Amino acid sequence: MRTVVCVKEVLDPDAVGAYAVSGHLEIGDDAKTLTQTTIPRLMNAYDEQAIEAALRLRDGGADTTVCAVSVGADTTATLRHAFSLGVDEVVAISPPAGVEVDCHVVAALLAAFVRDRGADLVLTGRQASDDDQGVVPALVGEALAMPVVTIARAVDVDGTKVTVTRVTPDGDEVAETELPAVVTVSSELGEPRYPNVKMKMAARKVTPEVVAPSDLSVPDGGLQPLLRLERQWVPAVAGECEILEADSAAALADLLIDRLVDDKTLQAGGGRP
Amino acid sequence: MTAPVIVCSTGTEAPEEAEATLTLGRKVAAASGTDVRWLLLGAAPDGYADVARRHGVAAVDIAGGDGIDEGDADVLVAAVARYWERSPGQVLVFAQTFSTRDIAPRVAARIGAAVVTNAVDVDAGGDAGLEVSAAAFGGDTRVLYAVTPGVACVVTLQPNAIEPTAADGTAPEPAVEKLDLDLSGVVRGVRVVEAARSDGPRLEDADVIVAGGRGLKSAENYQLVVELAALLGGMAGASRPIVDDGWIDSAHQVGLTGKITRPALYVAAGISGATQHVVGCTAAKTLVAINTDADASIFRHARYGIVGDCLEILPELIRSARDRGVRR
Ligand SMILES: Cc1cc2nc3c(=O)[nH]c(=O)nc-3n(C[C@H](O)[C@H](O)[C@H](O)COP(=O)(O)OP(=O)(O)OC[C@H]3O[C@@H](n4cnc5c(N)ncnc54)[C@H](O)[C@@H]3O)c2cc1C
Ligand SMILES: Nc1ncnc2c1ncn2[C@@H]1O[C@H](COP(=O)(O)O)[C@@H](O)[C@H]1O
Repeated sequence: MRTVVCVKEVLDPDAVGAYAVSGHLEIGDDAKTLTQTTIPRLMNAYDEQAIEAALRLRDGGADTTVCAVSVGADTTATLRHAFSLGVDEVVAISPPAGVEVDCHVVAALLAAFVRDRGADLVLTGRQASDDDQGVVPALVGEALAMPVVTIARAVDVDGTKVTVTRVTPDGDEVAETELPAVVTVSSELGEPRYPNVKMKMAARKVTPEVVAPSDLSVPDGGLQPLLRLERQWVPAVAGECEILEADSAAALADLLIDRLVDDKTLQAGGGRP
Repeated sequence: MTAPVIVCSTGTEAPEEAEATLTLGRKVAAASGTDVRWLLLGAAPDGYADVARRHGVAAVDIAGGDGIDEGDADVLVAAVARYWERSPGQVLVFAQTFSTRDIAPRVAARIGAAVVTNAVDVDAGGDAGLEVSAAAFGGDTRVLYAVTPGVACVVTLQPNAIEPTAADGTAPEPAVEKLDLDLSGVVRGVRVVEAARSDGPRLEDADVIVAGGRGLKSAENYQLVVELAALLGGMAGASRPIVDDGWIDSAHQVGLTGKITRPALYVAAGISGATQHVVGCTAAKTLVAINTDADASIFRHARYGIVGDCLEILPELIRSARDRGVRR
């Protein structure tokens, strides 16, 4: 069996958040690109968990190879990280020249890669922490007419059947489908493993295979973006916080309860036991 | 006339969120000189005709039947795609829920449309054509996407992004049609072998939420949050790291990848206020923050703030609330 894990390189969302909150997020002259070179680039955390899900299947005895694939201009560092975690094969798909790639183009490229090279199981993150869209896996599944099962806490394969424990707002749901299938992985899967030193060293010497769009059987029109990013900005937060002050924790607590009763958020009752 | 705006409700959204999508739909339709059609999947909600009239909806289309009523994603995707074949639009708006997040991109793929999730607004009619604003980086930034001219767009509207408002004046009675979409050939590729058990009340519906984060220091201390929540007649919430660490199960997680809540009172204890958390509680009427760090981001969103140790404040709040018998 062959498992393909789709991994995206993103700007560290915590660093972006820290700059945004402090009012120091730099946006380039094009009014949309985040230009701070001090923001680290790393593998989308959910994609690390998707790799972890694949490795757990392999560790658990599934006879599968694991291939990590990424669409992007320079994804070498992210793919080396994937290799250090223990995947067998790393592939970089370069974006089409002169096109501002959107989620539809990324999905078309990933789907073509899977169609051409084959996969029984396609694992992805539930969403990328930069655009938060969570649409690429569904677009890939539709392009390949594969079932799509989202937000996995656990993924199990038995023969041609895949069983997914999904984290839903109403609690866990267990769903089954036949391979080939697309499954998106959530943080509830648990901590991904750390690479050991030996694997880290080995990964440094690995050069990902580079695949050009022209090497792939992308259907006509598949490389035409449907969306163009026009602008990006930091939304204003209207802060109007009253900081309560008092001498002791007890007095602060009483003051807060007073405020909440005064503004009718809470009601003073008859002194329940 | 341009193709209409289609607003689709699946019954998984809160009524006010359905109204928010109709409000947005009306705005987009007015800007591009067209109508709103409201597609209801599954049983039509009570009072839908009044809601439709209030929002100046031109036509209500109701589709139900096997698979649609159970909310089977494969069937819903096929149903919307089939509907679109008979009655294409320029924009298809869903209220964003766990379920519509799955359906929207698949529908987009089937009908050859673009898709944007986490949308906060849509503009049409200007020189730029169709433009969708959305939250990115968990809400730390906003992005504006232009849709390629001639391409339709499927949008899921983020909860609390738009205040629902009724249309001005009186609208004519909308035409209501019960549709018979032939879905007999649809393959249901995914089988649910164990359904989720929603045990008890949902955080989304809670009037009071007391939430804790890493500042609580240990799983035992989370009991303070649970106790205060119970005392105020509310529920306990959590930030993601403490869910990840197993202090409490993920049904209590508030935020981008947890629950989007709208309580009257939200108390955030030992929570830094990362946007990925805050998007789940900014709709609270009154937000209280307790944090040792006066510069913590949560204070930017709070109505009342206490700069202090939540391990000292929470027990005193429990005492004070109990002494005075306060409730919501
Ligand atoms: C794609 C993505 C999705 C995410 N989804 C979510 C989500 O749905 N929900 C969510 O919550 N997070 C989510 N996160 C994580 C989010 O970015 C933050 O990391 C997280 O919310 C931080 O949790 P925290 O505030 O509990 O912890 P921390 O950021 O560690 O903050 C702890 C706070 O406690 C304060 N503190 C310490 N000691 C005390 C004390 N004794 N008394 C009072 N205060 C104290 C500190 O000053 C600090 O502000 C997501 C992240 C990403 C990238
Ligand atoms: N450029 C990319 N290269 C590889 N995989 C991607 C890329 N973009 C998105 N994905 C995959 O699709 C998931 C959801 O991404 P998104 O729809 O952008 O939120 C990610 O977690 C990845 O697994």
